[in-house]
Amino acid sequence: MSGMVITRRRLLGMFGATAALSACGSSLGGGSSSDGGEQGAVKVGLVIPQAGVYAPLGVDMKRAWDLWLDRHGGKVGGFTVTTVVGDEGETPQTGVAAVQRLLQSDDCDVLVGIVSSATALGVRDLVTESKKLLLIANAGANDITGTAISPYLWRTSFTNGQVAAAMGRHLAEQGGTDGVFVIAPDYAAGAEASAGFQDAFTSGGGTIAGAVKPPFGTTQDYQPFLSQIRSSGAKATFCFFAGAEAVAFVKQYRQFGLADSVPLYGSGFLTEGGVLSAQGAAAVGIQTSLHYTSELDNEHNKEFVAAYQKAHDAVPTVYSVQTWDAAGVLDRALRSAKATDGDALSTALGKLGPIDDSPRGEWSFDGQTPKQKFYIREVEQKGDGFVNSVIAETDAVGQDG
Amino acid sequence: MSRAAKVVVPAVAWLALAGAPVFLAPYATTTLARMLVFGLLAASLALLVGVTGLPSLGHAAYFGAGAYAAGWFAQHVSAAAPYPLLVAAVTGGVVAAATGWVAVRARGVFFLVLTLAIGEIVRQVAETWEPVTGGSNGLYGIPATTLAGEPVVHPALLYWFVFAVFAVGFAVLWLVVRSPYGTALHGIHDNEPRMRALGYPTGLYKYGVFVIAGTVAGLAGGLLATQQRLVTPADLGFTTAALALLAVIIGGARSLWGACVGAGLVILVRDSLGPTLDGHGPLVLGVLFVLVVYLMPRGVAGIRPRRAS
Amino acid sequence: MAWLDANLVSVLNGVAIGCLLFILAIGLSLVFGMMDVLNLAHGAVFLVGAYAGWVVGGTDPSWGTFLLALAVALGIGLLVGGGMSLLTEPLRDRSHLDQALLTLGIALIVAELLSMAFGNDVQAADAPPGLDGTVSLFGNAYPTYRLALIGVGAVFAVGLWLLMSRTMIGSVIRATVADRDMVSAIGIAQHRVKLAVFGAGSALAAAAGVLGVPIYGARPGLDSTVLILALVVVVIGGLGSVRGALVGALVIGQIESLGRAVLADAASFLLFGALALVLVLRPRGLFAGAVR
Repeated sequence: MSGMVITRRRLLGMFGATAALSACGSSLGGGSSSDGGEQGAVKVGLVIPQAGVYAPLGVDMKRAWDLWLDRHGGKVGGFTVTTVVGDEGETPQTGVAAVQRLLQSDDCDVLVGIVSSATALGVRDLVTESKKLLLIANAGANDITGTAISPYLWRTSFTNGQVAAAMGRHLAEQGGTDGVFVIAPDYAAGAEASAGFQDAFTSGGGTIAGAVKPPFGTTQDYQPFLSQIRSSGAKATFCFFAGAEAVAFVKQYRQFGLADSVPLYGSGFLTEGGVLSAQGAAAVGIQTSLHYTSELDNEHNKEFVAAYQKAHDAVPTVYSVQTWDAAGVLDRALRSAKATDGDALSTALGKLGPIDDSPRGEWSFDGQTPKQKFYIREVEQKGDGFVNSVIAETDAVGQDG
Repeated sequence: MSRAAKVVVPAVAWLALAGAPVFLAPYATTTLARMLVFGLLAASLALLVGVTGLPSLGHAAYFGAGAYAAGWFAQHVSAAAPYPLLVAAVTGGVVAAATGWVAVRARGVFFLVLTLAIGEIVRQVAETWEPVTGGSNGLYGIPATTLAGEPVVHPALLYWFVFAVFAVGFAVLWLVVRSPYGTALHGIHDNEPRMRALGYPTGLYKYGVFVIAGTVAGLAGGLLATQQRLVTPADLGFTTAALALLAVIIGGARSLWGACVGAGLVILVRDSLGPTLDGHGPLVLGVLFVLVVYLMPRGVAGIRPRRAS
Repeated sequence: MAWLDANLVSVLNGVAIGCLLFILAIGLSLVFGMMDVLNLAHGAVFLVGAYAGWVVGGTDPSWGTFLLALAVALGIGLLVGGGMSLLTEPLRDRSHLDQALLTLGIALIVAELLSMAFGNDVQAADAPPGLDGTVSLFGNAYPTYRLALIGVGAVFAVGLWLLMSRTMIGSVIRATVADRDMVSAIGIAQHRVKLAVFGAGSALAAAAGVLGVPIYGARPGLDSTVLILALVVVVIGGLGSVRGALVGALVIGQIESLGRAVLADAASFLLFGALALVLVLRPRGLFAGAVR
């Protein structure tokens, strides 16, 4: 083991050559440079997770972005687009670093994306200080357009409270489901969804039979909580889960026989995208609220789904639509502002009227986040797979639910 | 290595680090600042692992505690340097003192697992104590640190601030290692029963170094809050602690500067190489790790220049 | 009374999870107890087994494919364990930390390779036919598969006890845990014993992965979750002790089930709080195996 001596020279040779020549320059210049390159061009930084648990969402987002550019000749708002992809990763440590790289090293004019709410909140100051526009295409924390609002952060997705409140209102109107048990994991998004649902449900006259918060990220076995639901005598369950937790909860809900006696309702992420194929038959009959489903029956969606399927051999998800709309909204803003800096674009976004060509139906900005219709969807078998079919629609609501 | 080289090489390295913003682009400077923060954490862990022989998988807890303390202090009391940093160091030390007395009674793998448990408990506290730590979204919007009233936001100025504090923290660790206390710690690593037989209060010494390492880790955490202006539970958890341990081993457990080099490599792979590898940075880290354990038992610090034959 | 029934179900569930954890953790415990090698790649081997179970068994396995998946996992686990034993051989004279860290590096590599091969999506599968229904237990429905796990765990525990107390191999294992050097002094080659135990332990971890698929599925990140659970089990139970691993597994199973049901507010702190408590009171675990 002591035989091989690695010389300093050999080691330096290996690393030295790869030392980023792009790292050379000087940091002493005043502030950030860039006027976005030549006229008529815009550099967009697409911040999506390429590794870790959120990677499937990043895939959907990139597909939608690429599709939009494909169908519009690589131009947004008349400007030619160069896309630089930044890897948000799994935690804000990598997310903040990715955004810093896009802003400082790649000189992007506009940023689009961001899945994790913690990352979005974490880069708020960075983006605001550099006066560039960030179009958030997923992160759902209420605070992003609430207490932490900034003129440079606009959102084309949703707020956690808004999505859950839609189901709360729907259940209250239905009546006959008094005594709902609320279960959501113990983290910010879960708390916001739980609060959103409970506020809307109780103001519509419903009663809550109980609530519990399973630990976030460390719960694989939901038996203790399922037993609690059963012994509470609840008539229905409302839940908020996403990703692996959604798969585990839905499957175990069926395995423990609750699915037949206590109907399950939830925020749409419970059955959206890859998790639905993993859940399979266990998800049939679950009703969720979300601002999109691939089964929507409007002409823009039909076109969108057909094009998406042809290009990527997959069905679009809500994450795809949010990014598609971000591209569409950026297109309108650039066309109106004719400039790529954050101030001009922010003003232009504020003057946009209703967005009427979106696959999710008509929506508009309200407080820098969408005011949109929600759909109550039910999981059904369709051919070999499963889909979320629309069974009801709600009126357009803003972020206050 | 010749005596002259032993002085010249470190001097050149320090000078290069000090002058980095002059010849590096802004993003590279920011990345280097990030490496320095992580390097200080890794160096404090090297004091525990390499010098004293206590492999801790929960060291990030003190790093995170310091970061949260500095962030909270900057948000609610004052962002004027050096107060948030002092608060961070003290917090790191206090949390280390509170948990260390139970940890140092364990040995080997038990110490490893117990520190893992402590780290995870502290992380859970950060995740659930929402009023103070901001819960799972963390502490965001931390104001920039102010020097003489002016906020430090320019990448070069921020780098120099981080570098200065890094130098202070590193100096503290270096002094501990070079002192008679440090020599006694080496002795405890090599043969604890013998040291006890010689009359040294080994338990007390181990507790002491645990608290010192925790204090410096807390200081590094304060730097994180200053540099990243965001603290989340992820900064406290097992992943950060494991990365720090990786950095220490790659650098050579007994060497402080080696740990810093290891930290630089880890950050480089994660932030720069990771995206080009489709997010499979950990694969490179794993391979690097295995190679280091096999081929370079004393890590990067053990690389010798080829002798003329 | 409904309260009592619900908690009785939690107790039973704790036993079921505990049985799965026992099969997973016994390999980790014995390898460390015998060889002082902390195998931090144990969770990654579990994940390999889980993916094997999903790939071979599919989302709707029949008995044939399920048993085939078990056999495949056992085989792969044996190979991986044997491979790791060989890889740690050259480090035999170095510190135990070095060997543990080598396995950590291997764990990172294996986890990334799995993610590259199978993607980042969450995968799930059902239990084999006949076991995918529910049984009525204290007035509540309970998945049959988990009851079956208790059966499997019990049979395995008895079999292992017989092996350890009645066979030559068992006495060699017990002797090695007690005094490794003495065993090699009487002529039994240490590296062969290590190879066998590493291989068998990893095979069991992979089998646990297959058995766990109907409950845990297969996804990136599952390896670290499971590794931490296994570490807590063996440290609480005491390293190198079969009895300790069983008690540790059952205790952790209860903490994760009954504990979370009864102490819902402190649920996130229960696991590590219990670990810290045990280590403060009994620094070498409840049933320390080695007399060293």
